[in-house]
Amino acid sequence: VAILPAPQNLSVQSTNMKHLLMWSPVIVPGEIIYYFVEYQGEYESLYMSHIWIPSSWCSPTEGPECDITDDVTATVPYNLRVRATVGAQTSAWSTLQHPFNRNSTVLTPPVMEVTKDGFHLVIKLEDLGPQFEFLVAYWRREPGAKEHVKVVKSRGIPVHLGTMEPGAAYCVKVRTFVKAIGRHSPFSQAECVKVQGETLPLTL
Amino acid sequence: QEFQFGPCRVEGVVLQELWEAFSAMKDIQAKDNITSVRLLRKEVLQNVSDAESCYLIRALLKFYLTTVFKNYLDKAADSRIRKSFSTLANNFFVIVSKLQPSQENEMFSISESARRRFLLFQRAFKQLDIQAAQTKAFGEVDILLTWMEKFYQF
Amino acid sequence: LCISGGLPQPTNITFLSINMRNILQWSPPEGLQGAEVTYTVQYFIYGQKKWLNKSECRNINRTCCDLSLETSDYEHQYYAKVKAIWERNCSKWAETGRFYPFLETQIGPPRVALTTDEKSISIVLTAPEKWKRNPEDSSISMQQIYSNLKYNVSIYNTKSNRTWSQYVTNHTLVLSWLEPDTLYCVRVESFVPGPPRLAQPSDKQCVHTLKDQASALKVKI
Repeated sequence: VAILPAPQNLSVQSTNMKHLLMWSPVIVPGEIIYYFVEYQGEYESLYMSHIWIPSSWCSPTEGPECDITDDVTATVPYNLRVRATVGAQTSAWSTLQHPFNRNSTVLTPPVMEVTKDGFHLVIKLEDLGPQFEFLVAYWRREPGAKEHVKVVKSRGIPVHLGTMEPGAAYCVKVRTFVKAIGRHSPFSQAECVKVQGETLPLTL
Repeated sequence: QEFQFGPCRVEGVVLQELWEAFSAMKDIQAKDNITSVRLLRKEVLQNVSDAESCYLIRALLKFYLTTVFKNYLDKAADSRIRKSFSTLANNFFVIVSKLQPSQENEMFSISESARRRFLLFQRAFKQLDIQAAQTKAFGEVDILLTWMEKFYQF
Repeated sequence: LCISGGLPQPTNITFLSINMRNILQWSPPEGLQGAEVTYTVQYFIYGQKKWLNKSECRNINRTCCDLSLETSDYEHQYYAKVKAIWERNCSKWAETGRFYPFLETQIGPPRVALTTDEKSISIVLTAPEKWKRNPEDSSISMQQIYSNLKYNVSIYNTKSNRTWSQYVTNHTLVLSWLEPDTLYCVRVESFVPGPPRLAQPSDKQCVHTLKDQASALKVKI
């Protein structure tokens, strides 16, 4: 009986604290392959190396990838391993060559929507999850204008930034800060809005 | 978003994650039948000075890592508990690895005071059967996190 | 004395806690509709030795019991239990899980006072108060218990149909440069960072900014 090969080419792709473990699929013609993923944090590997914990979403899974975001919940190196099964057959474990630490995640500038409500500058930021805070910089578009900075923690809802003066244009840029790993994303492109001028009362 | 235990500063741990981990396994408290014993009682955690806090938190978390959590996982079959366990253990591990309390002589009386508090906790733990004690200490992580939160800068 | 276990237990026994007002509540035992069932409550402080009686909740008809006084030290943890009694039979005790007021109480909304002029609304917030036994007792603000208490103020412009929100830590907020003669609605929710806590938003309060005197003058001219 042919021994089921272990999955190969394990790697982790991590962007904005979403971590995806991937591997090359095991092919057995006519069969559906299931995969089991397990993880081990630094504590387990140091104090209880025999202990592996089944992944939250991939015990088992069909596709050659696994979202391990809910499993990696500390900023320490994690060992990860995968094995394939079909019927009663189970492959050997294949372990990620280098432990994964979430502080290596790629941080991208967040998506934002800048609007105004009368003279009020309002921003809505994408919901990237509880790990994220947003550092919002906004300024009046004129030479030498002072840049105001605000830390915004609300996600997915319009947040008041500041009050604008009639007839002026204001610009906004934002970057994320991830407290768990102490890192920032690059700033987004600036977006600007113009405020309608206020109709001045007739001077007699 | 960091802990400031007196002079000891710890970044990279999100208290929210620890709370979520504990909330997911709160029903472990139902397995603690010895309700007449509270390990983290007021004499252990009340009125701890900032200077003392670094010594005390280090002693408590090291004990959790080496005695409470260790070997517990073998018995915790429930994957929800294993997952919460791993989150707490690895984050406690990060905190302990970043705590460097001062070893200077003039801090001796403060570190001694922290040690006496810790011994109250440890003695109560050792008076119980090991598995009952581990279950109780695990169930009291909400008391521990509530105290730690006093030293957390949101 | 009654025959224990002769009745089914009360069910759904939990604490309902808002601003440290801690009410034990439960559902009647199944299958006893119409019977004149009464209940007796006891409570226990975690780490202490004995179950304690709550005299005002002995042989009561209602299915709730106010244990706010007995559980007022919010740094302690508690258990409570209730049993059903009918004629000479009584149920086994039905017990709560471990109740930790500091973590589990819901933070009520602040009191919200709004005043307006043509283009601004000033919002004055008063922190919710901890439960107190007598109205004349001195008040303790929930802010004194939760020093990092904040407020999420959300403002809805009924004319532009837009909503935006703002987190504030102090108790006054002035929204300036608003549109005159416009109805704005405000809702405020208390928020304490840390463990997941239920929060109750305030009732929606709406207020009209005044007519713009300058426009009125223009119209006259």
